[in-house]
Amino acid sequence: MSLSPELSLRKDDPEPFLQVTDLAVDFATADGSVRAVDGLNFTLERGRTLGLVGESGSGKSVTSLAVMGLLRPDSTTAGNARTSGEIRLNGEELLSAPARRIRELRGRTMSMIFQDPLSALHPYYSVGAQIAEAYRVHHKGSRKAAKERAAELLGRVGIPRPRERADDFPHQFSGGMRQRVMIAMALVNDPELLIADEPTTALDVTVQAQILELIADVQQEFGSAAILITHDLGVVAGTVDDVVIMYAGRTMETAPVDRLFAAPQHPYTWGLLGSTPRLDGDRRKRLAPIPGSPPNLLEPAAGCPFAPRCVFTDRVEGDACATDRPAALPACHLAPDDRDALRPSSRKAAS
Amino acid sequence: MTGITTAEASAEATAAEGEPLLRLEGLTKVFATRGGLLAPRRPAVHAVNGVDLTLGRGETLGLVGESGCGKSTLGRLIARLEDPTSGRILFEGRDLASLRGRELRTVRRDIQVIFQDPYSSLNPRQTVGRIVGTGLQLAGKLTDRQIRDEVMHLLEVVGLRPDHYNRYPSEFSGGQRQRIGIARALALRPKLIVCDEPVSALDVSIQAQVVNLLMDLQQEFGLSYLFIAHDLSVVRQLCDRVAVMYLGSIVETGAGDELYTAPRHPYTRALLSAVPLPDPPAERARERITLVGDVPSPTDIPSGCPFHTRCWKADDRCRTERPVLEGTARHLAACHHPESPADSAPSVPRQADSSTASPAESPADTEGTHS
Ligand SMILES: Nc1ncnc2c1ncn2[C@@H]1O[C@H](COP(=O)(O)OP(=O)(O)OP(=O)(O)O)[C@@H](O)[C@H]1O
Ligand SMILES: Nc1ncnc2c1ncn2[C@@H]1O[C@H](COP(=O)(O)OP(=O)(O)OP(=O)(O)O)[C@@H](O)[C@H]1O
Ligand SMILES: [Mg+2]
Ligand SMILES: [Mg+2]
Repeated sequence: MSLSPELSLRKDDPEPFLQVTDLAVDFATADGSVRAVDGLNFTLERGRTLGLVGESGSGKSVTSLAVMGLLRPDSTTAGNARTSGEIRLNGEELLSAPARRIRELRGRTMSMIFQDPLSALHPYYSVGAQIAEAYRVHHKGSRKAAKERAAELLGRVGIPRPRERADDFPHQFSGGMRQRVMIAMALVNDPELLIADEPTTALDVTVQAQILELIADVQQEFGSAAILITHDLGVVAGTVDDVVIMYAGRTMETAPVDRLFAAPQHPYTWGLLGSTPRLDGDRRKRLAPIPGSPPNLLEPAAGCPFAPRCVFTDRVEGDACATDRPAALPACHLAPDDRDALRPSSRKAAS
Repeated sequence: MTGITTAEASAEATAAEGEPLLRLEGLTKVFATRGGLLAPRRPAVHAVNGVDLTLGRGETLGLVGESGCGKSTLGRLIARLEDPTSGRILFEGRDLASLRGRELRTVRRDIQVIFQDPYSSLNPRQTVGRIVGTGLQLAGKLTDRQIRDEVMHLLEVVGLRPDHYNRYPSEFSGGQRQRIGIARALALRPKLIVCDEPVSALDVSIQAQVVNLLMDLQQEFGLSYLFIAHDLSVVRQLCDRVAVMYLGSIVETGAGDELYTAPRHPYTRALLSAVPLPDPPAERARERITLVGDVPSPTDIPSGCPFHTRCWKADDRCRTERPVLEGTARHLAACHHPESPADSAPSVPRQADSSTASPAESPADTEGTHS
C-alpha cells in the first residue's frame, strides 16, 4: 500500500480520449450575461458513447459547440460567447490550440450531426457534392475520388441507389433520409469523435429507430467515440454507455447507463424518471412531475441550481442547498444514506 | 394492470346503447390544389380517407400515427376548422354539416381545440385575460365583471395565478403558455376538447405537469378528449382507447391496454416496437421491427391495404382489396392477416445489412425486418 490509488491511476492509465474540465460558457446579452454552461466536467473513451441528457436550455448544444471549437473567439460562429475551462482531445487542449489546428481537427478528427439536417445542408448543392466537399477539405486527390467516396458513404448509411441519389438536392429527400445524408457527411473523414445533437428529435419513432441503429452500427465499425445529445431517457437507455445528467449548465450526476437507471443519485434525475411515461409502466397511474419551471440563467444560483424545484431540500441541514454549490458528484447535498432512503424505490412505481 | 376504467366501461355502454358523443362516418378530406391558369395542377392530397370512429362521453381517445398521416386534419375537421370532402360528423347524434345559426354556435362552443405550439397559438399582443376571456365575451351571456372573475377562476384551475391576468404570453414559459391555451379551451365549458399534440413541444418535466392537469380537468368537468400525439407512451398514460392512423385511414383501435399488449395490425406492432423504453435491460430485450422505406405520399395512396408497401405479410389480396375494421368494440383492426399472440416469432428473417434494404421507391420488394 505504498501508492495511493489516485497516484497509480495517474501513472498507469493514459489520458482519457476526451476530457472536459470546468467548462463554462457565457453569452453577453442585452439583459446581462447568460451562463449557459457552468463548470461542466466529463470524460469519454474511444469506442464508447456518452449521453448528454437534460431538458431544453440545460446547455447541451452549447457544450457540443464548445467542443467543436465553434465558440472560440477566432471562430465566426462564436458571436457573443466567452468560454473558459479545458477541453482535451487526445491530450491536446482545444480552447488554447491555434485556430489552424482546430480547422484541421474539425470535420476530420471530430464531426457533428445536427438536429435539423435541412438547415445544416445547403439547398443549392447536390448532397453528393456537399459530402465530396467535406472530404476534399481534408484530403488531397481528385474530384472524382471524392465523388466516389460520397457515393460510398451514402450507400453505407442506407440510401438506395447512392450513385444516382448523390446528384439529388436536400429537398428531394425525406426527413429521415436527410438525416442519413448528414450522418454520411459526418463520417466521410472517419472521425474519431462523433457528436450527434438530438439527431432524431424531429423524426417519427419508426425513423428514429432506424437512425439510432445506424449510428450505433457505424460507430462500432469505425471504433469512434460518440456523444449523443438527447432529452429522451428511452433513447439514452438503448443507445449510450455512460450518461451525464445536465441541469442549468452543470453536471448533476454521471454514471454508466445501467447504474443510472438502477440507482439514480440526484433528485433531478428522479424527477426526470418520474415524469417520463413508459410503455410498460402502470397505466392511468399519475406521473410524478417536477414542480416549477427551469431556472433563469441570467441569475445563476448561489447554491444548487435545482434547489428551487427540489422537494428534498428540508432533508439537508441549514440552507446549504440555497447557498453552497455541491462540490462533488452527484451534485447534491443529501447524505448518501438519505439518498438511498428517499430514492423512489422502483422505477415502475415512479412512472 | 389492465383494469377497465369507468370511462372505458361507459364508452362501451354508450356504444351498446346507441349514440356516443361523437361519431365519424366515412369522413374524408381531400386537399385539391386548384392551380392557376398557368400553374401546373398539383396532385390532390388524400389527408383523411374514409374514417369511421366513435368517441364516448367522458372518454379519452388517443390518435397516433407517423407525421403526415392526417391526425391534425382529422382533428380540424371535428373542430369545424376544415370542411370535410365527404362523410359525416355526428355530434350528439346531429350532423355538424347540417347545423345552422344558433345550433351551430352551440356546437362550436361544445368542441374546443388545444394546439401543439404554445408559442404561435396565442396572440402575443393580447393579455392573458383577454385571450382566455374572448370566448366568453363572444358568447355574450356574462357581464364584464363576471367574465373577469370567471377568467381568474380558470387561471387558478389550470395552475396559473389570478394576477397573471394582465400579463402577455411572452412573459410565460412553454408549459405556462400551454396552460393558458387550456384555460381558453375550458372557458366555454366544452364537452369535447381536441388536443392536437398539446405536450409534444414541452420538456418532459413540464409535459408531466400538463398531462396530470388534463386528467384532473377531465374528472372535474366530465370532458371528452380526442388526444392527438405521436408519443405512444404519453397516449397510453392518458387514453381509454387508442386509434392508430396510417395514410389517412384508421388501421386499428383498441381499448385499455389491448392495443399495447396484443396489437393486431402489423403497423401497430411495428410502431410499438420502435418506442424506446427508459430502462436499459428492458430496452435491450425488446422486440424491434424496423420498418423499411418511407411512408408513401398521400397524393398517391397504395391500392388495397395502404400499409402493404411496407408490410412483411403483404400478399396479392393486400395489394388489391382494402381491409375494413373488424373485431369487437374493444378492439378493431383493418388487416387481412392480423397478428395473433402466436405471431410473436419473426415472420421474416432479419436482413443482413440495413444498407441493402430497399426503400419505398421500389415498393414491390420492400420488407419489414425483425430482430
Ligand atoms: N448566442 C446565445 N446568446 C445568448 N444565450 C444563448 C445563446 N446560445 C444559447 N444561449 C442560451 O444558453 C442556454 C443553453 O442553450 P443550449 O442551446 O445549449 O440548450 P440545450 O440544452 O441544447 O436545449 P435544447 O434541448 O432546447 O436544444 C439557453 O438558455 C440558451 O437560451
Ligand atoms: N391545407 C392543406 N393543403 C394541402 N395539403 C394539406 C393541407 N393540410 C394538410 N395537408 C397535407 O395532408 C396530410 C396530412 O397532414 P396532417 O397535418 O393532418 O398530418 P399529421 O398527422 O397531423 O402530421 P404531424 O404529425 O406532422 O402533425 C399531409 O400530407 C399534409 O401535407
Ligand atoms: Mg440543443
Ligand atoms: Mg399534426
